[in-house]
Amino acid sequence: MKSFVKSAKFRILLVFISFLVGIMIYGVTKGGYSLSGASLINMLTQPLKSVSNSVALEFERISDKIFSPDKYYEENQKLKERINELNRKLAEYDDLKAEVEELRKFADMKEEYPELDMSMPAEVLGYVTNDPFKSFTIDKGSADGIEPYSPVITSDGLVGMTVEVSEKSSTVRTILSPDLSVAAVASSTNADYGIIEGTVINSADGHTKMSHLSTAHKLKEGDLIVTAGNTGMFPKDYPIGTVISTDFEINGLSACAEIEPCCDITRLNTVFVITDFSGKKEGADESKTAP
Amino acid sequence: MRVKLPREKRIFYFKTVLRWIVYYIVIILLFSTMNAGTWTKPILLVPAALCIAMKNDLMASAFTGAVCGFLIDVACGRLFGYNAVLLTVFCVAVSLLFELYLRDKFINFFWINAIVSFIQCCLDFEFYYNIWKYDHTEMIFCGQTLKVWAYTVISSVFVYLFFRLVNSKLMPREHLTIKEIINNNRGITQFSKE
Repeated sequence: MKSFVKSAKFRILLVFISFLVGIMIYGVTKGGYSLSGASLINMLTQPLKSVSNSVALEFERISDKIFSPDKYYEENQKLKERINELNRKLAEYDDLKAEVEELRKFADMKEEYPELDMSMPAEVLGYVTNDPFKSFTIDKGSADGIEPYSPVITSDGLVGMTVEVSEKSSTVRTILSPDLSVAAVASSTNADYGIIEGTVINSADGHTKMSHLSTAHKLKEGDLIVTAGNTGMFPKDYPIGTVISTDFEINGLSACAEIEPCCDITRLNTVFVITDFSGKKEGADESKTAP
Repeated sequence: MRVKLPREKRIFYFKTVLRWIVYYIVIILLFSTMNAGTWTKPILLVPAALCIAMKNDLMASAFTGAVCGFLIDVACGRLFGYNAVLLTVFCVAVSLLFELYLRDKFINFFWINAIVSFIQCCLDFEFYYNIWKYDHTEMIFCGQTLKVWAYTVISSVFVYLFFRLVNSKLMPREHLTIKEIINNNRGITQFSKE
């Protein structure tokens, strides 16, 4: 022991400890700021610390899972049940909301057009595959009192006409089709009569065309076009669409207008079929309207 | 000719029934995809009917062609039976072609499907748009008919691969092929020499 105390190693050790104590005392005098060496070490070991910390946390999490699985399992089951319950309630709420909205529209329309007898809201089952004129199928048919060649509407405006009716479903031809002609008149003037008939070009944009207008017409952009109601096929004064632009026909003898339908015919969810209305032509000549 | 054992017969019947069930499930699924959305879609039932006609006998092919045709009529809002007649004729022709002249190769299916789809699309365009002399029907031909045809031809690759998979798993073979007989004989000869 005496030899160790007297040895050079011991002295070096003392010097080193003194150096460390000195550093410590110096650190105390810095008043809370770390020494530059400590900062450097901190900086260098920062990534290592973060990795080790995350590893430790992960380890703790795993060990926690291993040693207390029942607690987590029960909690998980409770949360799952809660989520399922909330999802069920949300789905029910969405259904009810949609139903209420439909029925509200239906009630509003009944109030607004008391002369129209309408079917219950019909859901659009799907559009006819690859049809450029957007014909579609609805979930109401002859069992619901729907007949062929009955007008089909939404709360916004005229959509088209039923052309093929089976017991539980019907096919609707829209006003975008060249095969459907509707007598129409400008709501503002009540004098500019014409025929609404779809064209290939207009149907691509979801628009239709009003043709056979007088060259002296007073139609302007934004004018509302409504059904004329003089053919007995459609109720009078029901909105069809608004004028986008007017032009002359190629023959120059009459004018035409591009019409944007009041409802987006390419994105329909629910429609109504008018089963009866005042002024309906009994046994209407089907061949004229449905080639 | 392979001698049929009762067990083999059972497997034969089971596989046949299962195969046709799978065929018709796929047909219904393809039909339901045709009714989804408002965008332009391929007529997937055409390649499906042809795939079935390639590997099956005449009557079954004709019947399947008719079913697929009826489904196309319903989905496309066409006169009920119009596509059924077309596809029945095409399926019978394809069944005969593959039975008598053509080998069961993808390239043969591909060009036959391309021709049949093109005829089906062109007839549809002619009878439902062009014949009524609408203005600008060429827009429908370019923007709709040719697009549907192209989609149908491209998607037929996947339909073919699926039916090939079904056939490879569920198509029971009643007879050995000549190649198999030769291979079997070789095996027997080698075994007897040893």
